[in-house]
Amino acid sequence: MNAVTRIEAARPQAATPPILTTRNLTVRFDDFPAVSNVDLSIEDGELRVIIGANGAGKSTLLDLLCGKVLPSEGEIWLRDRNITGIGEAAIARGGVGRKFQTPAVFKEMTVLENLQIASNRYVKVRDNLFRRFSRGPTDRELAVAERTGLSSFMKRKAGELSHGQLQWLELAMVLSQDPKVILLDEPAAGMTAAETDKTAELLLALAGEHTVLVIEHDMAFVRRICRTITVLHQGSVLAEGTADDIEKNPAVIEAYLGSATLSHA
Amino acid sequence: MTYRSTSIAAYIVFFAVVFALPFFLNSFWTNRVATYLVYAICAVGISLAWGYTGILSLGQGLFFGMGAYMLAMSLTLAVPENNPVPDLMLLNMQPDAVRDLCCVTPGSFLWIPFRWVAVGMIAGLLVPCALAAGLGYVMFKRRTTGVYVSIITLAFALIGQLLVINNQPLTGGFNGLASFAPLTIAGFEFDPYGPSVYYAVAGILFLVVLGLRLLLSARIGQVLKAIREDEARARYLGYDVESYKLFVFCLSATIAGLAGMLFTLTAEFASPSLMATSFSISMVIWAATGGRASLLGACIGALLVNFVGSYASENAVLQPVWPIILGGLFVFVVLVMPNGIVGLIKAWFERTPRDNSSRREAYP
Repeated sequence: MNAVTRIEAARPQAATPPILTTRNLTVRFDDFPAVSNVDLSIEDGELRVIIGANGAGKSTLLDLLCGKVLPSEGEIWLRDRNITGIGEAAIARGGVGRKFQTPAVFKEMTVLENLQIASNRYVKVRDNLFRRFSRGPTDRELAVAERTGLSSFMKRKAGELSHGQLQWLELAMVLSQDPKVILLDEPAAGMTAAETDKTAELLLALAGEHTVLVIEHDMAFVRRICRTITVLHQGSVLAEGTADDIEKNPAVIEAYLGSATLSHA
Repeated sequence: MTYRSTSIAAYIVFFAVVFALPFFLNSFWTNRVATYLVYAICAVGISLAWGYTGILSLGQGLFFGMGAYMLAMSLTLAVPENNPVPDLMLLNMQPDAVRDLCCVTPGSFLWIPFRWVAVGMIAGLLVPCALAAGLGYVMFKRRTTGVYVSIITLAFALIGQLLVINNQPLTGGFNGLASFAPLTIAGFEFDPYGPSVYYAVAGILFLVVLGLRLLLSARIGQVLKAIREDEARARYLGYDVESYKLFVFCLSATIAGLAGMLFTLTAEFASPSLMATSFSISMVIWAATGGRASLLGACIGALLVNFVGSYASENAVLQPVWPIILGGLFVFVVLVMPNGIVGLIKAWFERTPRDNSSRREAYP
């Protein structure tokens, strides 16, 4: 009885529920709550930035959303579907794409092969037994490559790309999946100023088409792409609002006291 | 010539040589090379699982041995003197037991279906595949990876070997099975020392390699490469990594079972030594030496190591130290040339044009 009411309470009530909702999301590692009671509600096409000090639970939150970590409590809803605990692959197929902090790409394969693997609509063994990838890029793969500045590197092995290009390749792979929700973990980490600019532009262009959730702690970068910011502190949501609201928020200032993260913004 | 055209040429030359060899060999060597080609089939299965997908099974010998025993049971029963009950059971039966396969020794009824050779042949493929499916399901669903897969498969091969040795009334125990009737299909009798068995083995090797080339050129080939490189990434792209691994593990085990059946034709015995750890590791060494990420490389590795090994076994100085040399070879290959002979050739092809271009830039 109790369980039934909880599920009903968790189900979003609006006519079309937001693309991504978390309810009471909690995960404990050896009794230490890395993320506790996080309620997020992210609308279609939103560009949401999650900030927080080291250890605030940002990456763990993304790990929960993409299924890498199972929640101890709480639920994750993708529109009207409960995706809690259905497995990484199923979550990915449901439309959640994840980009990692250190670029995870297939380094022994060419850029084109990376994109082909990512954009392949067929994920089952039997569907891939007799189909071949086309020799050249499809229009979609070419469009994604152009968007991320990789179109002239299609035949290059991914392992030979620069760090910035690797970041874009992984982003391109995520885009090739055509996900509804894109989870990005510090997409500009290790990039040059010019590369960071380009990444910011790209993220702004992606918002609207996709729903984008970005973890970042470089406030200069955050300000450039900012829409709504969620501040995590010790695993819980501390504040939510625009960049100006956040920087004036006394609780945020206190939480960050002694940390250079906000002051250098 | 590009690497691709060279590699196609290499496949053609290899199989041309393989198919031409019996014309130049006496019956002893025809039989021996046929056995090496059986080993090559094994190595190809390892190349698929290890080289292409990153699953290093150290229990291939178990699947190989099971394939061998399945056909061996049928060929044992095909000897007229072994009916209704094979010798090995008569030696182990209770004095008052009924002389029939149903109940002469405990478990002897398991032999009944093997009166039909076709059953033995099908079981030689299905039983290793089914065991791999069960074992693989448990391992991969629990996300066992890397060295743990090697340890578990190794342990299972040991268990299998002990079960065969300890169930002498059923399996022939330590001696295994060795008195066979020749395999006869539709009136045609296969001769272990003649070209018939040789061409059966060579033809099957050809079909296995061709089939796997076709398979790996399909999308699954790229997916497997992706899984080998970063299985978590593949998972976040939506692939059920576990089912791909399970598929490859089963296919590789089935190929090992097929090779095991052919081994009973060329070597005319099946014994627990086929399930020994050292034999499973030898298979891995063959694939590693030739180049684990190349089907042809694995074939060449199997032939090369075994040719050298057979000469070493006839040499009084080399013979006792051959296992040490083999182990040393494995260490050398892993440390110095992880992609084997084919890897060296490939690196040479990839280096040459780039060296030229950098030279051109340096001296315009």
